[in-house]
Amino acid sequence: MSTVETFTWLALLLPLAGAVINGVGFRVWKGKTAGVIGTFFLFAAFACAVVAAIKLKSLPHEAQHATSVAWDYAATLGIDAQLSLLIDPLALYMTLVVTGVSALIHLYSVAYMTSDEGYVRFFAYLNFFVFSMLVLVLAGNFLILIVGWAFVGAASYMLISFWYRRTTATNAGIKAFVINVLGDVGLVLGTYFIFKGTGSLDFLTTFKEIEEGAAFATENDGDLVAGCLLLLVGAFAKSAQVPLHTWLPDAMEGPTPVSSLIHAATMVTAGVYLIARMWPLFEQAPAAANVGAIIGCATLFIAATIALTQTDLKRVIAYSTMSQIGYMVMAVCSGAYVAGLFHLMTHAFFKALLFMAAGSIIAAMANVQNLDKMGGFRRSMPFTYGCFIVGGLALSGIPPFSGFFSKDEILAYTAARGDWHVALAVIGYVAAFMTAVYTFRLIFRAFWGDPVKEAQELEAGHMAHGEHVNPANGEPEDTHVGFPGPEHHIAERAPEMKGAMGVLAVLATIAGVLQIPFVTHWVDTFLEPTFEGSFYFEDLHPSDSLTIAGMVIGASLGLAGIALAYRLWVQKPGTTAALIERFRPLYSLSFHKWWFDELIDAIIVRPAAWVGRVCDQQVERILINGVLTGGTTGLVKSASAAVRGVQSGFLRYYAAAFALGTVAVTFYFLVA
Amino acid sequence: MTLHLSIMLWLPAAFALLGALLPGKLPGRIAILGSLLTLAYAVVYVVDFDTGKDGLQYLTDEAWIEALGINYKLGIDGLNLFLILLTALLWFGATLWANLKEWEHARTFFLWLGIGETAVLGALLAQDLALFVVFFDLMLVPFFFITVGWGGKDRVPAVTKLVIYTLVGSLLMLTAAVATGVLAAEGTGNPVDFDLSVIQASGLSEGSQKWIFLFFAAAFLVKMPAVPLHGWLPDGYSAMPLPALALFSGVLSKVAAYGFLRISLPLFPDAAADFQELMLILALVSILYGSVMAFSQTNARLILGYSSIAQLGFITLGIFAIEGTGAQGAILQSVNHGLVTLPAMFILALLAARAGGSEDIRDMGGIAFKAPVLAVFFVITTFALLAMPGSSNFVGEFLILLGVFKTQMAIAIIASIGVVLASVYALRLFIRAMHNRVGADVDSRDLSLADGVILVPVVLLIIAFGLYPQLALERGEKATAAVVAPARAILGEPTGNYGLAEEEAEAAAEEPAGAAPQIDPTTGQPIDPATGQTADPSAQGAPPAGGELIYVDPTSGQQVAPGTPGAIAIDPATGQPVEDPAAGAVNEVTP
Repeated sequence: MSTVETFTWLALLLPLAGAVINGVGFRVWKGKTAGVIGTFFLFAAFACAVVAAIKLKSLPHEAQHATSVAWDYAATLGIDAQLSLLIDPLALYMTLVVTGVSALIHLYSVAYMTSDEGYVRFFAYLNFFVFSMLVLVLAGNFLILIVGWAFVGAASYMLISFWYRRTTATNAGIKAFVINVLGDVGLVLGTYFIFKGTGSLDFLTTFKEIEEGAAFATENDGDLVAGCLLLLVGAFAKSAQVPLHTWLPDAMEGPTPVSSLIHAATMVTAGVYLIARMWPLFEQAPAAANVGAIIGCATLFIAATIALTQTDLKRVIAYSTMSQIGYMVMAVCSGAYVAGLFHLMTHAFFKALLFMAAGSIIAAMANVQNLDKMGGFRRSMPFTYGCFIVGGLALSGIPPFSGFFSKDEILAYTAARGDWHVALAVIGYVAAFMTAVYTFRLIFRAFWGDPVKEAQELEAGHMAHGEHVNPANGEPEDTHVGFPGPEHHIAERAPEMKGAMGVLAVLATIAGVLQIPFVTHWVDTFLEPTFEGSFYFEDLHPSDSLTIAGMVIGASLGLAGIALAYRLWVQKPGTTAALIERFRPLYSLSFHKWWFDELIDAIIVRPAAWVGRVCDQQVERILINGVLTGGTTGLVKSASAAVRGVQSGFLRYYAAAFALGTVAVTFYFLVA
Repeated sequence: MTLHLSIMLWLPAAFALLGALLPGKLPGRIAILGSLLTLAYAVVYVVDFDTGKDGLQYLTDEAWIEALGINYKLGIDGLNLFLILLTALLWFGATLWANLKEWEHARTFFLWLGIGETAVLGALLAQDLALFVVFFDLMLVPFFFITVGWGGKDRVPAVTKLVIYTLVGSLLMLTAAVATGVLAAEGTGNPVDFDLSVIQASGLSEGSQKWIFLFFAAAFLVKMPAVPLHGWLPDGYSAMPLPALALFSGVLSKVAAYGFLRISLPLFPDAAADFQELMLILALVSILYGSVMAFSQTNARLILGYSSIAQLGFITLGIFAIEGTGAQGAILQSVNHGLVTLPAMFILALLAARAGGSEDIRDMGGIAFKAPVLAVFFVITTFALLAMPGSSNFVGEFLILLGVFKTQMAIAIIASIGVVLASVYALRLFIRAMHNRVGADVDSRDLSLADGVILVPVVLLIIAFGLYPQLALERGEKATAAVVAPARAILGEPTGNYGLAEEEAEAAAEEPAGAAPQIDPTTGQPIDPATGQTADPSAQGAPPAGGELIYVDPTSGQQVAPGTPGAIAIDPATGQPVEDPAAGAVNEVTP
């Protein structure tokens, strides 16, 4: 086993080891031990990933993709699945992002979760999640990919339902899980269609067959398009793209570090990774890629409009996540692979940071997430405020913060495709304006204005302790689960939280230097071996003037958005009420989240429940039990009336009828 | 080393009889010993099994009732190897479980339990049709008595229903079995012989195959059960004591599925091919109806009961894909589902003990809080039950759906709805029992040591099997390929092994022209070089109407003009090389 392979396997298995050690010793670990264990294994995994990446990049180009096999997994009649990893620059890029951000979020959680009864359980789950995510990004074939895909879904479910005595949390959990299973099924069926053409589940073999024209030689081959569209179903379910997104806002029921890690930085970007990984397929099936680009664009727009009016702090950031992933999906479906993956990384930094800062506020508010009840935290939490500003500027695409470079690269490359892709880019710019508005709406409403009671207390040196109720529905809360408890932390006071947020704030500020137009191309260079041979990677480049124009427009729109937010919520706080009255239908559309939940409820959930009732009460009772069973019983009873004359008891029926039947039948065939 | 199958077969019954003579707690302990020894035997068979060998291993073949042509013939191959292991394992687990409880008339109880194991093993091992029928019917008897003697309320009507259903099924099967033996002998003029290989070699006319197939199918589908023949299930499941129910649902239902593979596909290939769509649709209905019912129930037993209808539907689907991958998936899934059923039923008992004796999920809730270890094992079982990727259940389902996808794409796509529904009912059961607010009469506590001894090893096995399903797959490969071959040849389809088709076509192309075809040692029929399976020669040799063939140069793989020297004719419909009328000498298929 080469060094690269060894260190990659280590990076994969260390988080699993952390999960097992935490899980098995859950009665043993006291205080912060579990958190320290979990965090240690994550930093170790990150170190291994760094070593693996450095070693890999020292190899010649063609040696930079290799499949590392552990053993035969399901290699039997007609299929060839092994337990294998595909180690290439893209896989290691994802491994670096996942382990790096995860390590910081683990560090943050060490303090944040301290008073929770489920402290050890939390770290076992969180470690298991990272392991699952690494299985997903390192998988060497479709079957293992699906395994990782489902594992992250399961980890996500367990963490959403972490406070499992809240019915809101368990409902959100099952919703997320079922939609994710729907995505898994899409992935499985997509795999079948692709397998039908290539005859292999292995990634490298599949790509080779397609590049050499041995399979799916014609462009937009029906099976390939079907396969790619089904892969997109999987990607959309996981990455919360319209219309499979409704689970993501509800997933905010989970503890805030979970929202930060899983529902912002890592898991939800899996769809983007999948599409980039499958570029040879999507380039041969442009029809499917176009569908993906359009859905991505629709999502980025719809989510941005919803984020404008929501009042739950975390849900606003969740819709923002959805919107940003829409940008990435649009990018990778338009051939701008590097731009999409670059944004994936910068977004992981600034979005994780925003959630951590939000977590700090929520802790200060004693678990209340409603924006209407917040205000004036600027003075009491200067560090959190600073982090929120950095994250907000990066999200709004203000230079020189990282989000500016990555988002503009996406839009410039999308526009460079020409034709109708230009319209997508224009919508992207419009949404970028809205992004700045909703981001700074959050900042102004939470941090500016008069300090609320909690902020005043904090200034006086006290932490708020709320009521023992679930803030989401007012249900009385069990004291053991789901409440931040007597000892809870905000970033200002906990060095672990401060440290993690500080690092992310620096990264969110400077990560743009990796890929500054005309200056640096480090992400390009790193990922080059993965995308070698790609038409778009090699030939799609925006012209210099387009690049510059894009940057100017992007920066201006971001600043304009901030200015508008400042006017609406700082200078003239009353204006929004008048605007709501004036644009009531538009406001309703946004406030009711475009009625997606109601729609899905009406066309899927309720009909399914109705079918269940009909089956249970009509079909089963009348047809199966009444007609079929009743009929048969009557028949047998009358047929055995003669036997019953002699003896009674059901087993005697059985024995007698059995014997009689045997004799009769045997006699018939032997004699006749 | 010779491993006599008779020893393993009669061990459980012998120990049960021994136990019946002893007083106090001894019968239960003796039963544990008996099932443990049987399990040891089963493990030895799995380890010792020769993966590379065709046909039956560890064969025992004696004439039993010579006058009627009935043989005492037992054997193991890839079809039953893991089902035997499953049977032994589950019986051991259930016997341990039964020992945790005080039973009235414990001697009789354990006697029935032991006889039940022997009967199931007999049905799995039998290589003679009459012997199979005898064991198949015998295996139900202990369960009738256990339900009547030790069951819950309303057990008498429940058992009456069960008896009537199985009675009808058994009579049909009996008739069909006798007819099979007699008609097969009539066809060849030999004396009646119920040996499966003899019947397969003689063959039956297509007309008789049809009704016989349907008779067998009825018996098997009742036993599984499949919709709409499941009328006995709600009452039967409610009445049976849980350790017995775990066996009934985990093992006995699989014997029926196994019956399709062992009896129906090889003996009645024409009928299997004819009724393929009917069976697929029945399976599909079972999957969807079972799943919908499962998420509409509040009684945890019935949730598991209807879910097993859905799971058995998947297994039937895999079998009637009539294709190697699907059949492999069906065998694997049979083992997987059995392996999940035991812990699921066991957990159900633990939940009821914590919810004031109620098995209704409305009376449960919040049990996880004081039972974290139980919660962990329950959640793993739940994930396996809903066939989460990473579990062996997923591999089974993946293979089944892939098999069906190759033959009937639409059915595979509709069936995959069942996968989503499974996540709904399985997770709903878990959440309603373990999470949410604490139920009114819930008094939660964690696993006891004795509970752990039963639950933990099985769940660890589920995990281990999820990491290495290949263990079962590679042992099943040869037998499944052989068992689907006759019906597949009648369907006249290509092997459908997309992956291997091209390589095999290449390999076939490289074979020197005119080479003598290989002969399958068991059936004496030529082996199709492109499939590696024996094929009906009449199904293969005849080329389609002239001009439709594609000619390929064997060295370059390029398509060439007809009549090019050395070119090989390929039938575009099947992708297989065929006899070329234009250049017959070049690519002769020697009879």
